Amino acid sequence: MNWLSRFLPGSGPGLTPEQQASLDLAGKLPAPDLARSHYETRYVVVNTETGPADGASQRLLAVGAVAINRGLIHPDDAFQARLGDSPADALIGLLRFIALAPVVVFNAPFNRGTLERAFEQHLGNQPTLEWLDLMVLLPSLYPERIGGQARMDAWLGAFDIDRLAPRDALLEAYAVAQLHLVALARARHQGLASPRDLLDTQSSRKWLRGG
Amino acid sequence: MDTTASDTLIRTHLDFLRRHAPFDRMEPDALRFLGERLSTAFYPAESEILVPEDGPPRFFYIVYRGKVQARQTGAVSVTEYSTLTLGPGEGFPIGAISAGRPSTNSHLAVEDTYCFQLPAADFLRLQELSPSFQIFCTRYIASLMSQSREQLQVQFAQRAAEQQTMTTSLSNLVSKAPVFVGPGVATRAALEKMVEAKVGCMAVAGDDEKPVGVLTQSDILKRIVLTGFDLARPIADVMTTPPHTLGGGATAYDAALEMATHGVRHILVVDAEDRLKGVISERDLFALQRISLRQIRSGIESAADIEALQRASRDIRQLALNLLAQGIGAEQLTQFISALNDALTRRILELNLNRHDLYGVEYAWLAFGSEGRHEQTLSTDQDNGIVYLLPEWADKEPLKLRLLEFAKDVNNDLAACGFPLCTGNIMASNPELCLTVDEWREKFGSWIREPHPEALLNATIFFDFRVLYGDEKLAHNLRHWLLALTGGNPAFLKAMAANALDVAPPLGKIRDFVTDDDPKHPGSIDLKKFGARLFVDAARVLALRTGVEATSTVQRLRQGGSRIGMPAEELSAMADGFHFIQLLRLRHQHLDTDHGAPGDNRVKPDNLNELDRRILKEAFRQARKIQLRLKLDYQI
Repeated sequence: MNWLSRFLPGSGPGLTPEQQASLDLAGKLPAPDLARSHYETRYVVVNTETGPADGASQRLLAVGAVAINRGLIHPDDAFQARLGDSPADALIGLLRFIALAPVVVFNAPFNRGTLERAFEQHLGNQPTLEWLDLMVLLPSLYPERIGGQARMDAWLGAFDIDRLAPRDALLEAYAVAQLHLVALARARHQGLASPRDLLDTQSSRKWLRGG
Repeated sequence: MDTTASDTLIRTHLDFLRRHAPFDRMEPDALRFLGERLSTAFYPAESEILVPEDGPPRFFYIVYRGKVQARQTGAVSVTEYSTLTLGPGEGFPIGAISAGRPSTNSHLAVEDTYCFQLPAADFLRLQELSPSFQIFCTRYIASLMSQSREQLQVQFAQRAAEQQTMTTSLSNLVSKAPVFVGPGVATRAALEKMVEAKVGCMAVAGDDEKPVGVLTQSDILKRIVLTGFDLARPIADVMTTPPHTLGGGATAYDAALEMATHGVRHILVVDAEDRLKGVISERDLFALQRISLRQIRSGIESAADIEALQRASRDIRQLALNLLAQGIGAEQLTQFISALNDALTRRILELNLNRHDLYGVEYAWLAFGSEGRHEQTLSTDQDNGIVYLLPEWADKEPLKLRLLEFAKDVNNDLAACGFPLCTGNIMASNPELCLTVDEWREKFGSWIREPHPEALLNATIFFDFRVLYGDEKLAHNLRHWLLALTGGNPAFLKAMAANALDVAPPLGKIRDFVTDDDPKHPGSIDLKKFGARLFVDAARVLALRTGVEATSTVQRLRQGGSRIGMPAEELSAMADGFHFIQLLRLRHQHLDTDHGAPGDNRVKPDNLNELDRRILKEAFRQARKIQLRLKLDYQI
């Protein structure tokens, strides 16, 4: 896929006009103000389920997403989809659910990488999203718990969060969302009041690590 | 919204809820309703979840993981001793959210805690949807009644102490050497010393032993725990200064006054050179010179004259105050008062029998009204009468005259012992109320046959008769006859029921309570007329209908209610409601009597503390419940 694909009907991912309209709609939503407080921000925690692909990389099988709004996780504000026969619909659904909210993942290189490849492949398009990686943020917020970079299991264990069903994209997202609540509590305490502050912390952190 | 995703998350909620009471017994539809509406929140250790200052709670919280501590706050001093720790599956604040009022407790996450939160409106809806949850919440609120009793205990401890140790000097009250530290001592060391010495107040004094400050238990929460105060810093940085001090020559009364004026619970006692000699706490003032039940009783039984009985009467009042101070419930308390008043009355009768020869006369001295129900409060006037048997050979008039003379002396003696003469002349010295068995039957029978308003009013007083002295058999037969007559007379019972429903519980649709519109008593509720009487009247109908011989309201409710198949739990809740109202009346009468105002039954809900207000509301709801039952049963 390249940028040309969007201008060459039929040679790209082949979105139907309805799919294209739906996708366009998701991109045209008003972007949230990232300087607002955490309480006023809707975060979307996303998690992927993958399987082996032909090459070295993993193939995206399903996505799960849980929103945090006003500091609360509510079951009504959740999303999951299997890519199955219509990967474009699943991904458009996810983007519409995200609605340009800051996206939270654990392990961005893997989750974000997998998703971006899938967006490229099935939508021929790379949506502009803000990504927060708890794997990077948590050690800076809770250095007394775990100093360096650690696996998700370690962090879930540190905060006593049940991992209800490993490999279920949605339930994993729910666990990560609880982890994000924990992160937000400490962030607030440290004067990191908005998603913008978290994004800044994250980039300086990456820079420090040379990442 | 994506339904399968929501369903998955809701299922995790339900899996959790099903493992915890009361949700494990919740009806499936209600449980689903709950699961759909819960959201998840996180509270780091040491953070506040809900405090009274938040106003009416917006959420009902269920602890998902972690630990929450509920602490009572406010002016009442049991607070620092009563904390409650809530773990997974436990919910709060049930009472506040049901009543739509600010929580009386502060809720603090003591560990990292995840809570499920249900919006307040959905909590109320859930109670409607789930009878089992509603019962759970109601029972929980009822259990608050015992908490309220603890608060009362403290309140009365203060009052009792004020009265009894008023003139004791503080140097006499100081029982042990003062525990104190220097101002430079690290706060941690000072706190350790407090724990070790088991004191609730640490005095701080310089090398010259002159006090410079204090630190109390309640300061620790506010100034140290909540602010994360560095325990390495000296205690001088966190203590209250200057401390409240009094000389050893001051009286306990002075100390109580000082505490009340400044809202403190500890006073430092100093000598003439201002050196610290001891610490007096509110609890020290609760040094009751206890008057025992047995002492009073034997005092009454051996009393030789009316003066001795007058002393006994004062002792009864004092005992009532002490018993309240010990946190005894209204049921036991009124029983004690009733038992002692009975003994006192009997002794008065015996003393009068020395002067009036009634040998060979078959008669009984009857108590009516609240005395007949064993429910006397402290400002009840006398309601009594006589039933006697006219021997075939005897002349009625001379016998009746002898009884009336006797009754008149007894009534006056009772008045001298603190039972005011009845303004309505419901007294044995009234010829209308000194009657033979047949005359009483005729009287009762006419009221039952023609239940006009006055007859019904009489029934509410006289049908609660009880023998205080004399021939029990006479009254027993009269009661059997009465119950047989009323039980088979639905028209009379319906009229009694309608009479009982004349007054509705003062529960407001908008505000919590409907208070009196009498301009002389703004904002008050007459707890006799609009409280106790609702239970008393309904219970009487129940007793007359089902043939219950007991006269006490609670016995009538329990026995009569179970005879018509009301669940025992429901009846207990009603009894609790009645007791609580009686307790409020007793407390109110005590407080007012002590201040010289006449003891009445007018309580201002606004003057009650939050917990009492909530329970009072629940008590009125119980009154409404029993009234509703009457309404249904008699189609009124």
